[in-house]
Amino acid sequence: MSQKSTLLNRLRGALIPWLLPVAILAAWEIAARVGWLSSRILPEPFAVLKAGVALAATGELWQHVKVSSLRALTGFAIGGGLGLLLGLLTGSFRKVEIALDTTLQMIRNIPPLALIPLVILWFGIDEMAKLFLISLGVFFSVYINTFHGIRSVDPALIEMGRSYGLTGWSLYREVILPGALASILVGVRYALGFMWVILIVAETISAQAGIGYMTMNAREFLQTDVVLLGILLYAVLGKLADVAARLLERHWLKWNNSYSAA
Amino acid sequence: MQIDHRELNEVRSAQGKEKVQAPGLSIGVRQLIKRFGERQVLHGLDLDIAAGEFIAIVGRSGCGKSTLLRLLAGLDTASSGGILLDGQPAEVLKDDVRMMFQDARLLPWRTVIQNIAIGLDGSQREIRERALEVLGQVGLADRADEWPSRLSGGQRQRVALARALIHRPRLLLLDEPLGALDALTRIEMQRLIESIWKQHRFTALLVTHDVSEAVALGDRIVLVEDGRITLDEAVALARPREHGEALFAQRESRVLKRLMTVEAINNRNQIRGRISEIVVDSVLSEVRILTASGLVTSTVLTRSLSEQPLEIGAEVLATFKSNEVVLAT
Ligand SMILES: Nc1ncnc2c1ncn2[C@@H]1O[C@H](COP(=O)(O)OP(=O)(O)OP(=O)(O)O)[C@@H](O)[C@H]1O
Ligand SMILES: [Mg+2]
Repeated sequence: MSQKSTLLNRLRGALIPWLLPVAILAAWEIAARVGWLSSRILPEPFAVLKAGVALAATGELWQHVKVSSLRALTGFAIGGGLGLLLGLLTGSFRKVEIALDTTLQMIRNIPPLALIPLVILWFGIDEMAKLFLISLGVFFSVYINTFHGIRSVDPALIEMGRSYGLTGWSLYREVILPGALASILVGVRYALGFMWVILIVAETISAQAGIGYMTMNAREFLQTDVVLLGILLYAVLGKLADVAARLLERHWLKWNNSYSAA
Repeated sequence: MQIDHRELNEVRSAQGKEKVQAPGLSIGVRQLIKRFGERQVLHGLDLDIAAGEFIAIVGRSGCGKSTLLRLLAGLDTASSGGILLDGQPAEVLKDDVRMMFQDARLLPWRTVIQNIAIGLDGSQREIRERALEVLGQVGLADRADEWPSRLSGGQRQRVALARALIHRPRLLLLDEPLGALDALTRIEMQRLIESIWKQHRFTALLVTHDVSEAVALGDRIVLVEDGRITLDEAVALARPREHGEALFAQRESRVLKRLMTVEAINNRNQIRGRISEIVVDSVLSEVRILTASGLVTSTVLTRSLSEQPLEIGAEVLATFKSNEVVLAT
């Protein structure tokens, strides 16, 4: 009896958050069908779905998603990788910090998107420009958080490691890196969010393939359903990246009470 | 299975041999001075400790106890003076020294058993075997694969103890390891440390703020004041020492009194003189002291007079405190 009621409660708890979105979607669909909303302004949800199915069937959709994702991830790998490397170096070695940090902090103040005109001048409007912008955007959040992560490792633990004979790389692997990991992952999550924003801007400016190309193309032909589909795809991809980062945190930080699944 | 057992026995006998070869380290500290910038923390400290002795170190906060231990552990270097372990410079035998800190300092990202295995070389299986053995000694064998964050403070300290023990230290430095524990857990841990010390016969230095802990564990109690040793008192009580026992309580209060007496002695509030007269009464007695600046009268308990008799004509140091005056010969 009581078991049944808790199950029901759980179900209700899982359903309630979805009530409002479903209601909005329904209202929207109805408004479009009745003719209150012009499909030129906002197509009904069903039309977006249909456009998605049609594009998926021809394979065009996957092609664009693939190009965009690859672009984003390549930029992320380059910028994030460099950020991690330099963050580890400046965090670990005073000399490198003295040599590099001031310069990096100055560059950090420039918003990557403000560089767009210059980047177009340098690389034209092809792939290089987009990768450069994404890398730059991703670089700093990984760099800063790695640097701070390394610096904020508990000195008491480092001293303990030393007194147990850990030196050099073994001290790094056992104490310093794991101690900095939580902060590094925070940087990675920020970077992933930033990665999509910059990707969208870069692709909207110009592209020969990718989700941005698809939506801009559709805009020319007033295919608002495809435009909306593109927007939704960006949202889904962004969410996926976030979920992936969270899973990574759960896995790597499972020792930490605040990350372990309760 | 057969092979397993034989190997295990070999490991055991190897450990047995090590134990015979490696009793405690003897320590000689000579004129040890440590400065941090302008501030001098240790002022020419001398200390001799025999192999296998258990020394309890007490002293006010900031007097340099941790500094002394860190120097012994090789975590810091002395400004001048020397430390000899078994007659050799401290660096030579650094690996035979292990330290236990006030906070357990376990790596939160390593399980209990991985924490114990830190800094050990050897095959995974052998390490695990040994780690489980020491975990068993501290009574936590069943928690081997848990995260440290799931343990209580006392359990964490026991893991830290196991982590130190697995290296078979010949000198174990304990810097207030039990300070953060409740009274019962603390007594339990004291017994554990004592029994392990008896078994392994390493030399032990325990810093504590708890006089009863010092009396319970120390062969000697050493008071550090202002970076010097001002009292070094042997505790000749049979082990194990029970906290409730009369002898123990008597000893504890005596040590406490000595500590307070010695602590009260500093140049600002003392005056040298010679006893001129002792007036004994049933409870309170009076001791008259002739000093350079006149006659001083000190009231003392008759009972303490009988415990520590004074003679007329003896050189004494009269010490003034806000609420009492004590005498030190
Ligand atoms: N790394 C350091 N730099 C500067 N001063 C230090 C350093 N370490 C210790 N000191 C100073 O040395 C003095 C002695 O410190 P120490 O930690 O040895 O005291 P302690 O006797 O262990 O005190 P407690 O009982 O509070 O632990 C203190 O005044 C402290 O401020
Ligand atoms: Mg201390």
